[in-house]
Amino acid sequence: MTLPKAPTEPKPPRGYFGNITDTVVSTAKGMALTFRYLFRKKVTVQYPEVRPQLDERYRGIHYLEQELCINCDKCAKACPVDCIEMDATRHGKELEWHKFQLDYQKCMFCELCVYPCPKDCIHMGTEYSMVSEDRSDFVKDLLSWTGLTEEQQERIEAAEAAKAAKLAAKKKAAEEAAKKEPAEGEAGAEDPQA
Amino acid sequence: MYELLLSTAIALAVVLAFITVAAMFFVYAERKVAGWIQHRVGPNRTGGFAGWAQSIADSIKLLLKEDLILRGADRRLFQLAPAVVMASAFALFVVLPFGPGLIVADVDLGVFLILAIASVTTIGVIMAGWGSYNKWSVYGAMREAAQVASYEIPLGLSLMPPILYFGTFSLKAATEAQTGSFGMGWYLFSDAFWIAIPSFLLFFVAALAENKRAPFDLPEAESELVAGFHTEYSGIRFSFFFLEEYAAMFVFSAVGAALWLGGWNFPGIHLLEPGSTLLLVLATASFVLKAFFLVFIMMWVRWTVPRLRIDQVMTLGYKYLTPLSMAMALIAAGWEYVKHLGAQA
Ligand code: SF4
Ligand code: SF4
Repeated sequence: MTLPKAPTEPKPPRGYFGNITDTVVSTAKGMALTFRYLFRKKVTVQYPEVRPQLDERYRGIHYLEQELCINCDKCAKACPVDCIEMDATRHGKELEWHKFQLDYQKCMFCELCVYPCPKDCIHMGTEYSMVSEDRSDFVKDLLSWTGLTEEQQERIEAAEAAKAAKLAAKKKAAEEAAKKEPAEGEAGAEDPQA
Repeated sequence: MYELLLSTAIALAVVLAFITVAAMFFVYAERKVAGWIQHRVGPNRTGGFAGWAQSIADSIKLLLKEDLILRGADRRLFQLAPAVVMASAFALFVVLPFGPGLIVADVDLGVFLILAIASVTTIGVIMAGWGSYNKWSVYGAMREAAQVASYEIPLGLSLMPPILYFGTFSLKAATEAQTGSFGMGWYLFSDAFWIAIPSFLLFFVAALAENKRAPFDLPEAESELVAGFHTEYSGIRFSFFFLEEYAAMFVFSAVGAALWLGGWNFPGIHLLEPGSTLLLVLATASFVLKAFFLVFIMMWVRWTVPRLRIDQVMTLGYKYLTPLSMAMALIAAGWEYVKHLGAQA
């Protein structure tokens, strides 16, 4: 078995004039290279004016599809640093949102809150810049609205109206049944006593 | 007497304004060149267009900084050092021939004067290092002393070939001697070009080292010595050291331009009437542009070549530059002798 050769043999010493030639030649090569670099395209991104193109999977500030969210708290439970806090009141099928806060002082953008969501409605966004002189600005609310929207209001009213109508119908049915019932009821009532 | 004083004062004011403006421009240019070589854009915000006001902002910031003196520092040395450094850089400008008739003092021994005064800077640097009460400063100053003392020899010797060729120490006379061949009788293109080119390279390398420019910037080594001799300086005193570096860069570039690159001569200078304003303006512009070009090369070198170690700096100085420049001086002298013999025959 032969051992592999060292990739580069150390250069033999060059002597006095060899050193001079080497220095001059290598300096000239380096200068030529940097001179070409002088005119290359610049790679700097002019940040605030030009935003870097981010990957789709970039994990920036979250965004929430509020109309889908069901206030199930699964994301908050999944979060290892407990930085999600939410509060909503349920009106039948509609949710009246009060808050859905993320504390970006704690968040480490691990995306663990995204996976358990049953409605697939919380996502990592591509916005990343958070600058503030006040720490409380880093607690962000992801809600697009709080309270009830008009649509929700209408739907709740419609649902309530439907419910009321249903109740009324039921009541009416019950009353009608009660009118008929005395005869049947008296007849039926006798059984247990029997 | 009164007129002499007045003209001196005007000359001083002009030189001071020139140093300040040129240094500001060089700082800006240096940052731009550094950026471009590294595929960056360099300063581009301050002042709107391309960051042109960056140096102005920097100098205002420097001037507003607190002026600190350590309790253990030698106050007198500490306060005097920047003045010595600045004054020596200032005095160097006196003998530069900016244009025909545009020279503060045409000294016979102009080149010699520049070499002599440039060494005074070293004394200022040692004063700064010693007075700072800081071991890094002392180390930096010692390095500077060692480096400058060893590079003064090749610097002086590499100036010998043009001096022998022109037969004068005066920068003005040397420039005037290069007016021939339609303004292109530069030493670099003369019959002795094969001496001129290597001696110019030797001069340039020695000048880089003399000015503590990268790759010879050992007196200010961030990793080992913080900022070297000016570690403890702040505010306006620090800015003096800064100004000196760029002023000295310009002066040595100007000496190189005057002795090798024809000084204020430019192709077509013979067509213009001697003494006309146009000639004066163009000649001055050509001199300043040549010097600026050499300064640009200094910046280009800085962002290309990695720094040397102090022992490598010494090796280069003593084992290579000194013997080579000595050989160049001898060869130049021999060549002049041969020409002299030929002229006699
Ligand atoms: S990304 Fe991670 S840390 Fe941030 S809220 Fe989601 S689970 Fe919590
Ligand atoms: S897991 Fe999804 S549906 Fe549940 S509260 Fe979080 S975001 Fe809303």
